[in-house]
Amino acid sequence: MIYTIFYGLTIGAILYFISIGLSLTFGTMRVINFAHTITYTIGVYILITFVNFLKWYFPLGAILAILTVIPIGYVIERFIIRRLYGESLDYTFIATFAVALIGVDAIKWIWGVRPYPISDPIGTYLMFWGLSLPVYRIIIVIIAILLFFGLNIFFKRTIVGKIVVAALEDKDGVRCLGISVDKYFSIVFVLGSALAALGGVLYAPISSVHPYMGLSVLLLSFAVVIVGGMGNLNGTFLSAFALGMVMSITARYWSQGAETMVFIVMAIVLIFRPIDI
Amino acid sequence: MKKELSLDEGKAPCDKPIDLLAELRSTPIKEHGVIDLLGIAAFFLVITPLLSTHRITDFMIFCIFAMSFDLLYGYMGRLSFGQMLYLGTGAYFCGLFIRYVSGNPLLAILAGIAFAGFLSMLLGLIIVRTTGACFALINLAFNHIGFFLVLSPLRGITRGEDGFGVSASKFGSLSLTSRPIMFGFVLLCVLLVFYVLRRLTSSPYGILIRSIKEDETRVRFLGYNTFYYKWLTFVLAGSIAGLAGSLTALNYSYVNPNAMDVHSNVGVVFACLIGGAGNLYGAIVGGVVYMIISNLLPIYIYRWEMFLGFSLIIIVFRFRTGVWGYIQRSWEYLVKRKVVPGAMKKEAI
Amino acid sequence: MLEIRNLDVAYGHAKVLHDVSLDIERGEMAFFIGRNGAGKTTLLKTIIGLLKPQNGSIVYQGQEISGLSPEDLYLKGLRYVAQEKKVFGNLTVQENIEIAAFASGEPMDHALDKVTRIYPKLKDFLKTKAGQLSGGQRQILLVGRALVGEPKLLLVDEPTQGLAAIVIEEIVNILSGLKDQVSAVIVEQNLAMVNRLADRLFILKEGKVAREIVDRSEISDTKELEEYL
Repeated sequence: MIYTIFYGLTIGAILYFISIGLSLTFGTMRVINFAHTITYTIGVYILITFVNFLKWYFPLGAILAILTVIPIGYVIERFIIRRLYGESLDYTFIATFAVALIGVDAIKWIWGVRPYPISDPIGTYLMFWGLSLPVYRIIIVIIAILLFFGLNIFFKRTIVGKIVVAALEDKDGVRCLGISVDKYFSIVFVLGSALAALGGVLYAPISSVHPYMGLSVLLLSFAVVIVGGMGNLNGTFLSAFALGMVMSITARYWSQGAETMVFIVMAIVLIFRPIDI
Repeated sequence: MKKELSLDEGKAPCDKPIDLLAELRSTPIKEHGVIDLLGIAAFFLVITPLLSTHRITDFMIFCIFAMSFDLLYGYMGRLSFGQMLYLGTGAYFCGLFIRYVSGNPLLAILAGIAFAGFLSMLLGLIIVRTTGACFALINLAFNHIGFFLVLSPLRGITRGEDGFGVSASKFGSLSLTSRPIMFGFVLLCVLLVFYVLRRLTSSPYGILIRSIKEDETRVRFLGYNTFYYKWLTFVLAGSIAGLAGSLTALNYSYVNPNAMDVHSNVGVVFACLIGGAGNLYGAIVGGVVYMIISNLLPIYIYRWEMFLGFSLIIIVFRFRTGVWGYIQRSWEYLVKRKVVPGAMKKEAI
Repeated sequence: MLEIRNLDVAYGHAKVLHDVSLDIERGEMAFFIGRNGAGKTTLLKTIIGLLKPQNGSIVYQGQEISGLSPEDLYLKGLRYVAQEKKVFGNLTVQENIEIAAFASGEPMDHALDKVTRIYPKLKDFLKTKAGQLSGGQRQILLVGRALVGEPKLLLVDEPTQGLAAIVIEEIVNILSGLKDQVSAVIVEQNLAMVNRLADRLFILKEGKVAREIVDRSEISDTKELEEYL
């Protein structure tokens, strides 16, 4: 049972990394980005290229992968997302989906369709109350918690963070105070993309890597964001871990139903708390 | 949260449950209505020699699905990312009916439509309250759940991933396993669906749902029970999708979870985008174009998904009314010298 | 200072302002009154750049500004205080002012000083979340925020809406004290306030300027003006 909880926390942490960007992009720009997990996938493939082929250290490879993803995120924001401000939902869906389509095909083109395995970079276990818990997973959860506090500090203490918080509530008000909000929103977008890549990079050793991995995670992170509230960072934190636990516990009793359970939860939440977009 | 389940809510006379048949009967047949049908039939007959009967039948079934989707998306303005659920339901129940009840294909099709319709009635009660992204995603969620159900827990009945064969018996002297007969039958279905939807969308009901798309609050203030009409449209769309599903099962003589595949929803969205949402002709044109793209493009262009992605982006950012809509307007402009102000460009505000 | 000529503004197909032309002199406090839907808020939003006009021109200090964005206009000294007293509710009062100081480049203590000068009691609320303030306090905060930097023209939309008489009195006093510092265009329904502060009065009706009154004695004739509300 402890393992179940522990694995639930791990999945929750990964979901958290990925969902932050989605939640922020929605909260600030009111754009639902179907291409959000493309940086997740690209980050992983770049990591694999560095680690498996160039034999670099995992942490170094991870950091480089995330850095490489940043300009990609910028390009997506600049050419696609920015044009979708205030657009109707169907168009943002389709435009961002198109980006995802292009991205996945590009990945297939460069790296092929075959899944790449990548192993646990630490491989050791921590002995804890008679149980052996993989250190790697512990680190993931710790990073998630650190990130949570880090983001809180960012949004509560820095001026950029405060501008974003203000703009989330009253975008026109911020504009009328002379601040070009779009610039800050694109910073937020790139940050979200980088965090998604972080999630991918950390998850890669314990999951399967293939070009479509982004899509399965995307749907799950939609669920996280909906349950937690769009644009609500604390809510995203809680719902990521809650849904991670749901998946883990469901997997224990009914191995294939884990993802479906998440969708059932999402559907229930949507029924009782429909969002107005 | 408002409870809008009572169908007889509200006192205005326009609030009475719509009798669709009466609506159908009341709208006058436009003069060129029959010509439309002949045109569509002729179109499909003409392109058949280019590919194969089987392929075109496929195309036509997809067009039926596209029309059902367009009813929901183009006319009522609700994007659903899970209509495949109803197509799949139609396919499975049609197949199961033939397998366990009777080989009569017509009854099986009706069974498929009925169950798909029934499912959409139930789910519609919940789903139709939502809008926008919520609507799209909750449909996606149910589609996903449905897919999982047929894949795993209901494996005993649905044979899971393997699916099962469907062999319909003859109907009178006609066997639907014969390609030309199937073609003709599906063509009839396309024309029927087109006709019915055409009448409905030009009837007061059609105007009503288009008004709901424009400004639902205002329609509600006029005394209409918008919940009921939204729900009705949802059920219609689901039922017609069920028809498409049943036809799919019969056409391939086979049903498997791909009939409910979540990813296939993209195709129908794309079709309506290309064709121009809110336009039945557009749905057919878009359907055919998408089928051509997805079936033939991979043969000629290896990286067809990337091509598709770029095309989608271009369409979204440049051709708002869909490529078909653009063609229509260009036609009007060139031939009739009629310029609709601001039609070609996005509005300024 | 502000010259508007033949302004047409529409929301989609619905035209809200028809061929509006008016002038406002420097140092004046001009008021717009009119019924709901007459186009007052639309006019302010167009001046500040949140809406784009279909036709016409807006010239501010000799420069054509229609089509410029609110961010640009801020640097030129235009300040917009919207209806409904929306503040950055999740931030504290001090942080609200911090954001105002950010773009203008004004040092924080200067900015705080400016704001607390018009309403000293605000000092007690600096650490309170702005969303928890009362309507009147929020309105004052908004006016204070607008004064940060170098404001030249304030555009204020219905500042006294929904406020109690005592609070309205405070706001009128504050605005009165600002008269020599900034020019202002204020949308209002409260005729007593108009009476006390207006140098010029425009009456908007169905998207057009129905009347312009510059004579102070005419402005005091509230009974006649009430017809237009």
